[in-house]
Amino acid sequence: MIRYLRLYGHFLRFSFSKAMEFRFDFFFRVFMDTLWYAHHLAFFWILYRHTTLLGGWTLDQMLVFAGGVFLADAIQMTLFSNNLWMLPNYVNKGDLDYYLVRPVSSLFFLSLRDFAANSFVNLMMAIGLFAWVLVRYPAPLGAGAIAVYVGLVLMGCVLHYTLQMIFTIPVFWLHTSGGLREVFWALDRYTGRPHGIFTGWVRKTLVSLLPFALIVSYPTMALFDGLTWTLFAHMAGVTAAAFLLMVWMWSRGLKVYASASS
Amino acid sequence: MRLFWSMVGVEVRKRMSYRVDFWINSVVGFVTELGVAWFIVLAMFSGADRVGGFSRDGMLLYYVAIILIARLVRSTDLEWAIADDIYQGALSRYLLYPVTYGVLKYATQIGALLPALVQVALFGAWVPFVLGIPEGVHLTPATVAMSAGAIVVANALHFLSTYPIQLVAFWADNCWSLLVAHRLIAMLFGGILLPLALFPAWSQPILNALPYRYMFAFPADALLGRLSVAEYAWGLGIAVAWCGIFAAVSAAVWRRGTLQYTGVGM
Repeated sequence: MIRYLRLYGHFLRFSFSKAMEFRFDFFFRVFMDTLWYAHHLAFFWILYRHTTLLGGWTLDQMLVFAGGVFLADAIQMTLFSNNLWMLPNYVNKGDLDYYLVRPVSSLFFLSLRDFAANSFVNLMMAIGLFAWVLVRYPAPLGAGAIAVYVGLVLMGCVLHYTLQMIFTIPVFWLHTSGGLREVFWALDRYTGRPHGIFTGWVRKTLVSLLPFALIVSYPTMALFDGLTWTLFAHMAGVTAAAFLLMVWMWSRGLKVYASASS
Repeated sequence: MRLFWSMVGVEVRKRMSYRVDFWINSVVGFVTELGVAWFIVLAMFSGADRVGGFSRDGMLLYYVAIILIARLVRSTDLEWAIADDIYQGALSRYLLYPVTYGVLKYATQIGALLPALVQVALFGAWVPFVLGIPEGVHLTPATVAMSAGAIVVANALHFLSTYPIQLVAFWADNCWSLLVAHRLIAMLFGGILLPLALFPAWSQPILNALPYRYMFAFPADALLGRLSVAEYAWGLGIAVAWCGIFAAVSAAVWRRGTLQYTGVGM
């Protein structure tokens, strides 16, 4: 464990020094993410000019949900996105060999090696927005409930990463430019919308087979309606099942990986 | 002109070569985009008959129209091929050809449209059977023709608005973030995220003056018969004027950029 933490410290140092070399990219990315937050807030603000409730939530509750979406997205962008973006290239060009010969878990190395230092500023912004929406909420939420909310959003981040990997790993068999990455990004739209607006089998699918609604919607539901054991067990169970599926797919993928000719 | 159409043909063949990948991404992309919009509309209309002048089915039809039109207008917007050419040094060979680089790249974009046209025809075919023609929507051969004209201009406008952003690659290492930022702005102010009629009254003159409305909402409104002939002509005029502005900006950026272009190793 200590060895992995030390290794991650090296990843951080390397990533920050690399980010400082590409200063334009650094500021462009900060600009893009800031715009994404504004875009999201504007969407809900305009929508609530024409309705008081959406999926059972008021504007104040929806802003707390949006804060959770920002936090989950910023964590994904900072910790995982650069790494998962490059993974299909490594597989298709045979560059995966470099990672497979290292004396550490290849999944750990490939998922966390590139810390997006330019997104780190956005992570700080997302934390600020997250705190703001909680502070401005008109009723007291309670420190315990907020702590549970943060914990569940972090579990949602693990699920988000896992889902992205599940859609990227098929590159071992498909040899396309991104596996099923485009499918993931299309489905990820459901993460940014409250699960209460969905009905019937769509809602059931979004909390089980394609659990995008669990990432932030369920933690927000736990904050407002109270955490139940059923909710926690559901979210933890689906996250664990998805993680195990991802690890299994990864090991199967490595078996069919044929280096440069892959 | 022959070269232009030959570039279009090459791109069409290239696009159709990864068919499984292409269709999986297209179908899932369309279904999820429409699915999210569909449920948002149903949730909005759960306590109201009309919102922003739309009936429920009218707004659903608007979303179908604008999602399909956006496919025709955006074409290859997030592939940053121009920025890549500059960054990787591939631009050098184009500089030696006796052709205009921007025109060649526009031909590539037009070529990429053919598969998008097939998608639009297939994905749009079910609409009359499911939604019918809701009250307040006037879909006629004339509105289809008006919309087709608006889409042609919108496609050029969209290309010209992203062209100078891609040319930023002459100076910056990576400009994909700017293209994503452009897409976010265009989605919000172009009426893809929400119909522009839902925006506050004070913002309407600003939305009408910005180029984004003419990329997406304007062709959709023309298709659904929500524009008079005078409004259509005026809107088309503004769109063409924006094309001129972006073309001038692109030419200026191109001149400055090529002066300091050093080939490989940007």
